[in-house]
Amino acid sequence: MNAEIALMGALGAPIAQALLVMLAPKPPGLRDLVHMGLAAVSAVCAILLVGAAASGLDARIVIARPLPNIDLAFSVEPIGALAAALIASVGFLHAVHTGGMVRASNMQNPTHLMALTALANAGAIGVALSSNLLSMFVAYELLIMAAFPMVMFGRGEDARAAGRRFLAPLLTASVGLLLPAIVWTNAIAGPGDFQAGGVLAGRIDAPTANILLALFAIGLAGAATPPLHVWINAAADAPHSAVSSLFAISLAPAGCVGVLKVAVFVFGPALADARAAAFALIALLGVGMCAAALGALAAQDVRRRLAYSCVVQAQAVVIGALLASPAGVFAAVLQLVALTCAAATLTMAAGTVAAVTERRSVDEVAGLGRLMPWTFASFALAAASMIGLPPFAGAWAKLWLITAAAGAGMVWAAVLVGAAAILTFMHLGPLAARALVEKSSANAFRAPDGASFLLVAPVFLGAVATLWLLVLADPIASFLSPLWRSPQ
Amino acid sequence: MMQVVLDALRAPEPAIMVLAPLIGAALTASMPGPRAAWLAATLSALVAAAAAILGANSLAKGETATGVAAFAAPLIACCAAAVVVASGALLKDFSDRAAPFALALILVMSGSWSAALHADRWIGVFLAVETASVACVGVVALSAAQDRGALNGALRLFGMSGAAAGLFLLGAGLIWWGTGAATLHGLSLAAIRAPTLTLLGVSFVLISVSLRAALAPMHGWAGAVFSRGGHAAVLAVAAINCVGALAVVLHLGAHILPAPALGAGASTLLGVLGAISVVVGSVQSIGAKNLRRLGAYAATAQAGCVLLGAALGSIAGYAAALVQLVAYAGAVVALQCAAAGAPGARANAMETMDGFGRRSPLAGAAVAAAALSFMGAPLTAGFLGRWQLMEAGIGGGAGWVAAAGVGASLAGVFYGGRLIERLYFRRASATARPAGISRVLLAPALIFGMAATAIGVAPEALLRAAAHAASGLGGPAP
Repeated sequence: MNAEIALMGALGAPIAQALLVMLAPKPPGLRDLVHMGLAAVSAVCAILLVGAAASGLDARIVIARPLPNIDLAFSVEPIGALAAALIASVGFLHAVHTGGMVRASNMQNPTHLMALTALANAGAIGVALSSNLLSMFVAYELLIMAAFPMVMFGRGEDARAAGRRFLAPLLTASVGLLLPAIVWTNAIAGPGDFQAGGVLAGRIDAPTANILLALFAIGLAGAATPPLHVWINAAADAPHSAVSSLFAISLAPAGCVGVLKVAVFVFGPALADARAAAFALIALLGVGMCAAALGALAAQDVRRRLAYSCVVQAQAVVIGALLASPAGVFAAVLQLVALTCAAATLTMAAGTVAAVTERRSVDEVAGLGRLMPWTFASFALAAASMIGLPPFAGAWAKLWLITAAAGAGMVWAAVLVGAAAILTFMHLGPLAARALVEKSSANAFRAPDGASFLLVAPVFLGAVATLWLLVLADPIASFLSPLWRSPQ
Repeated sequence: MMQVVLDALRAPEPAIMVLAPLIGAALTASMPGPRAAWLAATLSALVAAAAAILGANSLAKGETATGVAAFAAPLIACCAAAVVVASGALLKDFSDRAAPFALALILVMSGSWSAALHADRWIGVFLAVETASVACVGVVALSAAQDRGALNGALRLFGMSGAAAGLFLLGAGLIWWGTGAATLHGLSLAAIRAPTLTLLGVSFVLISVSLRAALAPMHGWAGAVFSRGGHAAVLAVAAINCVGALAVVLHLGAHILPAPALGAGASTLLGVLGAISVVVGSVQSIGAKNLRRLGAYAATAQAGCVLLGAALGSIAGYAAALVQLVAYAGAVVALQCAAAGAPGARANAMETMDGFGRRSPLAGAAVAAAALSFMGAPLTAGFLGRWQLMEAGIGGGAGWVAAAGVGASLAGVFYGGRLIERLYFRRASATARPAGISRVLLAPALIFGMAATAIGVAPEALLRAAAHAASGLGGPAP
């Protein structure tokens, strides 16, 4: 398949998915088939893009030219292709899982939620494959707009307030910080596409670099960089499918990819000029990771605990991106892979449990591992990955992150990452252990047949994916190597 | 035959844009009933709009003279056409006897603002501006048939316009005394004898016209007019009067800013007015509990952005201001037309928008397009304008202009987001009537709403036209 066609497929399939699901909500079987089928198309196309990027093929599509000399364009480069493949693949698992959730929980009017998750995926893939800052901004705004109703979906009177608490920090950050940073960057470097080596390299002084880095990093609030990470409180109480989408597949990963692309393709070596801002941001993120991990520890609702845990992992990606070294970028990419696979597995597993048992609090899931062995075995694997236990994906990511931080002379940052890993162990380890080891209570299942295949299979496949990095770390390093071998 | 008509329209476009509405106004006023008057008014407004579109096309190709007038007059004519067409569904705002006069006054407003843009002498500008203002007061007063509160708005507008007229005359006198120049063109070339007094005169003139554009802090009349006036009157005031006045401020600024002794002072004045409008308009919009007041204050904030672009005094800044003007006009027409058609709209409450996007998807889409443009959401005309403004500000070393633009967008997120939330995420109350919106009201709302979006996606022609028009800073060059 032509790389341009794959690019269009990866971006267009989720949008078609949203439209078709909305246009044909009945019969439910056909709707779910369309939902899953087009998610699969997007995943296949995105995986093909990884092959295209590995072969060094150039692919670029232009949608419009909304500003003088700046296209709304999408193209293939290693980080974007890998992230898009990851988001689209896990998005497919999520589409299957949502089909199961709709049936198991008798969800009212699920069509909107399905369409919104598809649109959010389109936005996240758009951010990953964006060719320039404007395209990234447009895709990111689409993502926020799709995520906003998801947060309010199926909630009672508090929905509107939650929606506002979610939207306000994200839009404030994107309009108030990200957009000025983009305009400023264009004023300095001129209109143009992302380029390995950074468009700003050699063009800015240190004060400007520091201000711009802060604007970009905090402006992409989806990555949960403090202080505008407050949206997570409102999003953590959204329906399970929405939590999976926001924290594991679309919003948080897209924010992380955005920061990564800015660090690599906008700053490049100029990141060294923004050392003060990077230092401050890494400190904020390190403290934020520990605070979020403590928040997760305090949360008694499983969904809320997992949401905070995902935030810890997302913040680790941003730390890697800000370390201004190839090792840091590599660690950030590995962490992104680990985050997406493990977080999706955990949140989908929690959704499965809630749908079939209506158990939502930490205490209530104790012993369910004996009744739902596949689900909780997968949960345990993903939790191990989040914690950073070898040989799961998170372990290699954490290892590289700590190495890169120490290599950059920021041993304290490495310590903070390590502390966050310990706190992650404290909030996920006992949860998984109690679910698997303790005795189960009778009559756990709301439905007589327990969890359906649609609910279990995606969770299991997600857990298996956390093992992939055991064999894929080296190929990923080779795949990404053009980024740091590019002429500066 | 068609070619002959096209040639007739093309040759004297400015004259058609001025004369067609004025002649149409005479015809409309003489019509026996509201329907016949509306047909006559629509015909003349469409003739002017056709000439405007031809003129805009020539401008985009760089075939006509430069200058704000060449850019803004077509915009006013198009807005006027939209208002007149939409008025067909709003004639009940006026009594049967008053309706032809109201429509005639709307046309007079359009022709007068176009005339003000094309006038070369200060006295000509003054007469045109005052004619437009009196027509504006008249339209608002005539809409009192349904709500006597409109008279209060008309009185307030009349009083403030009267004071502004005096200020304009005083300013024009000071300019003449200081420069000896009776024409706008002479200003940038004249040897200025008394720079301070001339600057004072220029400031008086700019403030006087800014008052008609509802720029803060001189927008005291806006609340009363917008919340109590009839829908047709509000639409006319927002889409013709405010757009026309803003265009004239830009037009005057284009002649004043290049004058060495006046440029810096005038630029500061425009910047201050723009910044105050952004801040005050944004705060008032966020706090507005009434739909039409929200529209009015949001327009004030957006108008502030137009002035900020002009305050930069550069070609890039002026081009940004012109793009902002188009975004402003598009959003205002779409919002006011669609809002006028909402069931229970006379109640004016924000609740009329609850679930409107579901009850009337097309009208809801027009309101959403306007709200997104106010917010400066990507791929809308508002985003384009805001981007141009920030770029010009940063490029011109005026970071505060960019910051004010960002502030306007942030405030837009709150009040525009509130509108969108009501449109799509709230249910209408059980007593809400079904949303059957008249086609003559829906058509302009949709056209301007779509334009606000289409311009954001494919802006080349608009940007070319704005750049060409702005390149004549200091007056039109052939």
